[in-house]
Amino acid sequence: MRRLNICMVSDFFYPNMGGVEAHIYHLSQRLVRRGHKVIVVTHNYGRRAGVRYLTSGVKVYHIPHWLVYDQVSLPTVYSLFPLFRYIVVRERIDVVHGHGAFSSMCHEAILHARTMGLRACFTDHSLFGFEDASSILTNKLLKFTLSDIDHVICVSHTSKENTVLRASLDPLQVSVIPNAVVAADFRPNSSAREAGKITIVIASRLVYRKGVDLMVAVIPCICAQFEDVNFLIAGDGPKRTDLEQMQDKYGLQDRVKLLGAVDHARVRDVLVRGHIFLNTSLTEAFCIAIVEAACCGLLVVSTRVGGVPEVLPEDMVLFAEPDEKDLVSSLSRAIETIRTDAPNPLRFHQRVKDMYNWSDVAERTEMVYDTIMTDPHLSLVERLQRYHECGVYAGILACMIVALDYLIWLFLEWLLPREDIDVSPAFNHDLFLEICQKKITTRNDNETKQGTQETKGAFI
Amino acid sequence: MSVASFSAFQPWKKLLYIRQDYPDNYVDESFLEQMQKNVNVRTHYYWTVAHRTCAVTQHISSIMVFTAIFVHLYSGLLSPATLLIITAVSVFIGYAIWDIIVFRQRLKAAIYRGRIFKSAALLLAILIGLTPVLKTLTKEISSDTVWTLTVMMILANLVFHDYSAQDVLRVRFPDSLSINAGIFASVLLSSRLPSNMHVLGLMLFAIVTFVLFPMFRRGFRNISPRNDLIIITLLSPLTVALFLPISLALVNIYLIGMLFINLICPYWLIHAQKYKSEIRGPWDEARIGRRGSS
Repeated sequence: MRRLNICMVSDFFYPNMGGVEAHIYHLSQRLVRRGHKVIVVTHNYGRRAGVRYLTSGVKVYHIPHWLVYDQVSLPTVYSLFPLFRYIVVRERIDVVHGHGAFSSMCHEAILHARTMGLRACFTDHSLFGFEDASSILTNKLLKFTLSDIDHVICVSHTSKENTVLRASLDPLQVSVIPNAVVAADFRPNSSAREAGKITIVIASRLVYRKGVDLMVAVIPCICAQFEDVNFLIAGDGPKRTDLEQMQDKYGLQDRVKLLGAVDHARVRDVLVRGHIFLNTSLTEAFCIAIVEAACCGLLVVSTRVGGVPEVLPEDMVLFAEPDEKDLVSSLSRAIETIRTDAPNPLRFHQRVKDMYNWSDVAERTEMVYDTIMTDPHLSLVERLQRYHECGVYAGILACMIVALDYLIWLFLEWLLPREDIDVSPAFNHDLFLEICQKKITTRNDNETKQGTQETKGAFI
Repeated sequence: MSVASFSAFQPWKKLLYIRQDYPDNYVDESFLEQMQKNVNVRTHYYWTVAHRTCAVTQHISSIMVFTAIFVHLYSGLLSPATLLIITAVSVFIGYAIWDIIVFRQRLKAAIYRGRIFKSAALLLAILIGLTPVLKTLTKEISSDTVWTLTVMMILANLVFHDYSAQDVLRVRFPDSLSINAGIFASVLLSSRLPSNMHVLGLMLFAIVTFVLFPMFRRGFRNISPRNDLIIITLLSPLTVALFLPISLALVNIYLIGMLFINLICPYWLIHAQKYKSEIRGPWDEARIGRRGSS
């Protein structure tokens, strides 16, 4: 197996929290452990600009850039190129891997990577419709970027269908590799549950797309039907007031608790307090939340939308159509199941652990990298031909953008020849592991407390 | 070994939680099975569309009438007293018809009528009181600016007018903007008129054009879509007659425009319909079902 130098690019990375961020982080960690070198390129977060190191020597470049909205950088097409080229040459990158269709930095990086003759791949994390203006715009942009991509990864089969349609791709060029969870972070703890009651947990951002309107409709119905059922809602957002109004209207302050925003690290502590997890999303490519909940041993009730039906087996999740009546009946069935034949949380945990883990994701992603490394190299004319298929007018425009990008590249090669750029020394991960092992062994010799076992577990 | 080769023949499932013996980029026959194309597309019929388009041509015509009335008032061809009489007569006729349409089956009609008369009287009193103010409000602005702004406001009125509304009694958001733009345009114009009487006449006529007439047309349309044809056949000769003394070129442009919008645009729409490709599938944002719906 060849060791690759991989560059992950996305606008979304830590300290911002979310699904894409976690995906990039965990995937990078596992790829490093498999012997590759991984760097992450993102924009600056406040005063956090420059280079940072994460665990296992994953290097993060926070490039100073203008932001437009919600951590998305300003699309400038070319302004990223000089710095990006410098990083790519310095780190001897083979593969550029972009994440997230909303991230304009990712689109730009893929374009430049292809201009420089590097392999590029893209992971799509979200679903888009074809109707509203913002979707149409994003889809056009995606079609342009993905015209000349080596491979695309989607997180679910539904997401693959969606991406293939949006970007007019050959479906064989698209792989499905699901997200995963760190099962150790989501251990069940039945003792945290309130005795004699059934608790339904909701953990999501409180926005329209997460189906807050459905929550508002369903919660009073369930509270009226079942005396011993309480709700626990973690998360914050613009729709929070709707839930507060519902609390006031039906006098449910004692039975419906709004916890507000909860750190991702503390989500597990909220989840283990419940018996049932409710997901009311209206659209979802993968839905990591229900996997995390099932991993904590909760029975899941979810709307049947997007890629959700692919994620968990029928006995771990009860599906409902996204309407009030069906959700209430599914929840009632779930409550009945908890009363008569409650699932064993530890068994749920074990099963989820076997279904999804990041090592598996990294292995499958590595297979994608291996295939694209063997793809034949494309000449500029062949690339232009691909872009020309974007559309009658869009194709010409795309060709112009790509041609200019190529000229800028030639100019940069002349202005700052690659021989003059220092190569950054690679982080020696094997040595790092060795030192860690040594530390652990010496500590184990010195003290025999139980805490060390945890530390060791975290490294292996 | 035999187990492995046997499992290779397991059919592919659209699931993520099991490891299947297929490559990650495997494309099954069921790929895009759930995609639906053009499910919500309606077939349009030429004459229905042409009929509906009358809503647009009527509104354009009534704005043209308003403009012509202003020009005649400005040039002195039309005296304000005549305009006030014409306005009063048309309002009474229009109200009589509208009353019959809207209150046909209502029992509380008397209360509504009382309210309508009360607010009409109040509005008229306020308008008479405000006339000198309206006359001088934009007097200091140069004529070039006034003409340009008026054109922009009238275009805004055209763009935001609610052509599809069926509710006779209520005005929704973009339509209210349209009415405001229309009234503002007439306030701008009234500053160029010589006397208070002129201003009052123009403002009353503006209210008729921008507020009452659209409501009347909606009510009239609700009885039978055929009535649209009656209005347009009365309105376009009136527009032509009013514009003939002003400019023959404008009359020609108006007539060509009317024919284009009313007869060619519907054909264009139906022709373009075949390019429509609406895609639906499981990736779409779900619409929340209503209470009690299945």
